[in-house]
Amino acid sequence: MLEIKDLAARVETEEGDGRQILKGVTLTAPKGEVHAVMGPNGCGKSTLSYILSGRDGYEITGGGATLVGADLLDMDPEERAANGVFLSFQYPVEIPGVPTLTFVKEALNAQRRARGEDEVTAPVFMKQAREAAAKLGISNEMLKRPVNVGFSGGEKKRMEIFQALMLEPKLLILDETDSGLDIDALKVVAEGVNALRSPERSMLVITHYQRLLDYLKPDVVHVMADGKIQATGGPELAHELEREGYDKYVGAAA
Amino acid sequence: MTAPVRLSDFENAIADALPEGALLDELMAKGLPHRRVEAWKWTDLKTVLSRFPAEAGEVILHASREPDAVAKLEREPSMIMPRLAAALGGDCAVYELADGETLNLDFIGSATGHRIVSVTVPAGVEAVLHESYQGGKGSFANIAVNITVAEGAKLTRVIEQNAMPNSALVVTSGLSLGPEASVEQTTLGFGAKLARLETHVLHSGEGAKLSMNGAYVLGEGLHLDQTSNVRHAGPNGETDELFKGAVAKGGRGVFQGKIHVERAAQKTDAQMQHRGLLMDAGAEIDAKPELEIYADDVICAHGNAFGAIDEDALFYMRQRGLDEASARAMLTCSFLAEPIEKMNHEGLREALLERLTDRLETL
Ligand SMILES: Nc1ncnc2c1ncn2[C@@H]1O[C@H](COP(=O)(O)OP(=O)(O)O)[C@@H](O)[C@H]1O
Ligand SMILES: [Mg+2]
Repeated sequence: MLEIKDLAARVETEEGDGRQILKGVTLTAPKGEVHAVMGPNGCGKSTLSYILSGRDGYEITGGGATLVGADLLDMDPEERAANGVFLSFQYPVEIPGVPTLTFVKEALNAQRRARGEDEVTAPVFMKQAREAAAKLGISNEMLKRPVNVGFSGGEKKRMEIFQALMLEPKLLILDETDSGLDIDALKVVAEGVNALRSPERSMLVITHYQRLLDYLKPDVVHVMADGKIQATGGPELAHELEREGYDKYVGAAA
Repeated sequence: MTAPVRLSDFENAIADALPEGALLDELMAKGLPHRRVEAWKWTDLKTVLSRFPAEAGEVILHASREPDAVAKLEREPSMIMPRLAAALGGDCAVYELADGETLNLDFIGSATGHRIVSVTVPAGVEAVLHESYQGGKGSFANIAVNITVAEGAKLTRVIEQNAMPNSALVVTSGLSLGPEASVEQTTLGFGAKLARLETHVLHSGEGAKLSMNGAYVLGEGLHLDQTSNVRHAGPNGETDELFKGAVAKGGRGVFQGKIHVERAAQKTDAQMQHRGLLMDAGAEIDAKPELEIYADDVICAHGNAFGAIDEDALFYMRQRGLDEASARAMLTCSFLAEPIEKMNHEGLREALLERLTDRLETL
């Protein structure tokens, strides 16, 4: 279970003055549930996902976040990963010279070592990789290419889901995994995400469109605006946003 | 005329060993190369050696076989360091490579020593020359290597320069490429108190090919200068250079690359790239790439860029569970592997990649 309570954070801007981006986010995502976080551009969704996963450059000014009781904000990014945090990046980063499979195997084994588990053997890893790749229509050749290098936007998102399938996180955060995808690519990615639904896993699906949610069927929808959760409801809330937009929430915040 | 420089005890000891003549006069007048000499502006040999013991020693050479001849040098070199090597390093060991041969030359500096060797690859022959350089504490090795690659011959040259924090090294190589000759040279350098690998290549005939690449990793207190001068005198020649280096705090890399295309060298295709990775604040890389072109129908380009580790990539890798040190090492290794991966010789390529990985782990 992910519990975020009154989380407030500033970002250090280039001018040197801090800017408050999160102004008290409270949200609970029990294991087994898919929670959507919807909100207009610039409301702080990516910032929330970066803060949960441990990126530098933010100052926490209040509140906290725990995953299965463990305080996330005190940990290094790699410790959070070993504790089960996975962020599917809005813009996956290219890593020239490092083949995808090598990278995922190193990452998986680093996590396992950190948890005091045995490393996976090459045959077990390869079998798992083949199965995960098949679910997402990822070819062997793609797995050998350097991480995210030369992939289209849609392929990068598929590779992110592939990594999530391999790393089996307790918390999966999808930051705009639907952006830039055509409808076919969206379906493939959604199927991959649905395969990741598990009674042991919490999911936070960040988006500002209804589109992806048609396939994912979230249990809970949160509306974020101006650095805060402004409303929480069932799937019907997403449809309401689709019809009426965010005006009412942005207005409420102003 | 500038006033004569003051010689250090170290330089005086070298002068004492020299016979009367032009070389002695030049040393007395100018001393060893120093930072006010343009070609040595980032490698102050004189100053560094003035703090070294002025003790005569030798450059020990472990070769994988006996030389074919030991002879006086036919032609005196023009630059001071190889001239000193020729004057003080004894007779020149001459190797003529056989087809399919791999010649290993391991040079080990002990106190102050000089050496000169000459390697010939006869027409049509394909061979490997594998050099390694190391030195004991307080040693200065001054080595000259002359390589002649005859018509249609193919040489793979590998240079491993080991980390030697308490020694100094100057290697001056001259390569002469005959028509349709081909040379693939790869250097892996880890620096010294002062190290200079200076390479002069002459495309004398038509259609020669040079692929000259290198990777370097310099930790604290280590310096490596890779200076090269490639001259295209014959037409249809190709030169392709890629040098990449990673320098940690307190390390210093120098890259001076020049490609000179003479008027007769039409249809030359010459490319030179240098990329530096500054691993920490306090790392230094100085670079000066130059093209000098007198022919009009050529394709020539050069590039030089410095950067730091990509913080976004680092965060991405840590988000997936890699610890920071491993992620940094992986990024640095993949950055540096590129020049080595150009090698055609699989065994040597894998060996160099392994040495690179090991070095990054112990940096
Ligand atoms: N590093 C940064 N420096 C300055 N402003 C930032 C930085 N990161 C985010 N912001 C600002 O914070 C706000 C929230 O950004 P973000 O979390 O990316 O929004 P969203 O993902 O909801 O579109 C935006 O106004 C953005 O410009
Ligand atoms: Mg965003």
